Amino acid sequence: MSAASAAVAPAPSRLRLGPLVLIAPAAILLAVFLVIPYLNILLMSFRAPGQGTPYGEGFTIANYLRFFSDGFYIRQVANTLWIGFLCTAICLVVGFPVAWQLARGSPRFRAIGYGLVLSPLLVGIVIRSYGWTILLGNNGLINRTLTNIGLIEGPLPLMYNALGIVIALVHVFLPFMILPLMAAIQGVDPSLETAARSLGASRLTAFRRVTLPLCMPGIQAGCILVFVLSLSAYVTPSLIGGLRVKTMAVTVVDALIDTFQWPWGSALALILSVTGALIVVLFARLTRMKWKVART
Amino acid sequence: MRSRVLAAYCILIYLFLAAPIIIVVGASFNAGNFLTFPPQGLSLRWYVVFFHNDVFMRAIRTSLWVAAVTTCVSLVVGTMAALFYVQHAGRWKETVRVAMLAPLLLPEVLTAIALLFFVYAIGIGTRSMFGMVVGHVLMTLPFVFINVAASLESFDPDWDMAARSLGAGRWTRFRRIMLPLIKPGVIGGALFAFIISFDMFTISFLLKGIGTSTLPIQLFDYLRTNFTPEAAAVSTLSVLLTLGVVIVSDKVLGLKLHRF
Repeated sequence: MSAASAAVAPAPSRLRLGPLVLIAPAAILLAVFLVIPYLNILLMSFRAPGQGTPYGEGFTIANYLRFFSDGFYIRQVANTLWIGFLCTAICLVVGFPVAWQLARGSPRFRAIGYGLVLSPLLVGIVIRSYGWTILLGNNGLINRTLTNIGLIEGPLPLMYNALGIVIALVHVFLPFMILPLMAAIQGVDPSLETAARSLGASRLTAFRRVTLPLCMPGIQAGCILVFVLSLSAYVTPSLIGGLRVKTMAVTVVDALIDTFQWPWGSALALILSVTGALIVVLFARLTRMKWKVART
Repeated sequence: MRSRVLAAYCILIYLFLAAPIIIVVGASFNAGNFLTFPPQGLSLRWYVVFFHNDVFMRAIRTSLWVAAVTTCVSLVVGTMAALFYVQHAGRWKETVRVAMLAPLLLPEVLTAIALLFFVYAIGIGTRSMFGMVVGHVLMTLPFVFINVAASLESFDPDWDMAARSLGAGRWTRFRRIMLPLIKPGVIGGALFAFIISFDMFTISFLLKGIGTSTLPIQLFDYLRTNFTPEAAAVSTLSVLLTLGVVIVSDKVLGLKLHRF
């Protein structure tokens, strides 16, 4: 890739004006409809709540104070982060063997498997969440089947709780974990493992000390992707959690759509996003450190 | 033996991935009034109900329209940006890449909210589809960019040079030399843009106006209050539509998808 780009761009030092026309539409689009709106939402979170209008006159930090003085919202953020963490961990553990098989398995199996991993992404998230409500509901397929067999008396609580949300989110985001993992595993030369084995390492040691550290960039990418996606997921928690379990994204959207509290909703959304971003940065730091240690 | 265990495990996971979709498709043929198991006989009655439901039919038309407009805009803007990125960005390459991928890296909910406030701040509001289409373009732009840039990376500049030495102008070279060679990436990007726009939820949910619900929004609203298999019929048709787009682009146009 670098060789090709170097060949295409022979004079990388100076930027000529003519080609800037090519990037102009995208630059304007991103500046006007992404950068400015993000600055605006930051401003909005400091606005005073309105009386009958989305926001009032003047600026205040009351929205942030309201969040930090109310244990309910802090618990909700903690809950959302916990669900995100569970999803990420489960996706990693469940997805790794599949990624391994896709990267190292027989080529015939690989093409089919790759298609099977990608194909759920072609189906809208509302539809997939709807499928889970049919499966997990009190009168759903799983509970009906178990009751009919006689394994359980009443329905198991699979929906309207964190468990149902995690199951459905793992399903929705698993491909996003498997794809980067697969790419990372493909990049690891299997002969490195053979070399470690020939030097007397057990299969497990060779995996733990050689393959796993080399896969770290893929693990990192997959984990960050799934974590961020699950924090901001709206549809799945809303349909599976119902009114009983709300994640932060659901609370934020409801605060904006149903009650029109724009400053309050902005503050909530920003708090959740910044917390998520901090965790991602911390995670990236920690894993990179570990990766370096493992390499030396 | 070990590889057998692994293969069996993978098949289980593939089943897990496919399960809710299979269930929805299966439920759409249920003859009963509710989603009961086992189904009370097979029937196409819910498809008939759905085809006579103006709300859903209008939502499908809206979705297709929004996805078509989004794809066109995103394709032009994204392809131009990819051309700049690969051929002219120089030392700004990494900056351009991060900026182009930004809509993917930022939480969709936050982007949707930010855009909602913005369209009201500039006085457009959600009366027209403008805000929604802009949101869709933003979210699909990275996919066009990734796919086109990936094909451009393998484009040999000598071909361009050869055409130039033969007297071809800039536009002719792009149309006759480059475009045919990067076609798979362009089509892949367009396909991604169309499907992602067609299935987009959060952006549409926050930026929809009165009477401009897309299919996912209409389905979501319906599911909050109704439990008939009609929703399953709608979902199945939506899946078939997407599948149709993929197959047509694969067969007719030739397709090569690039991952990021």
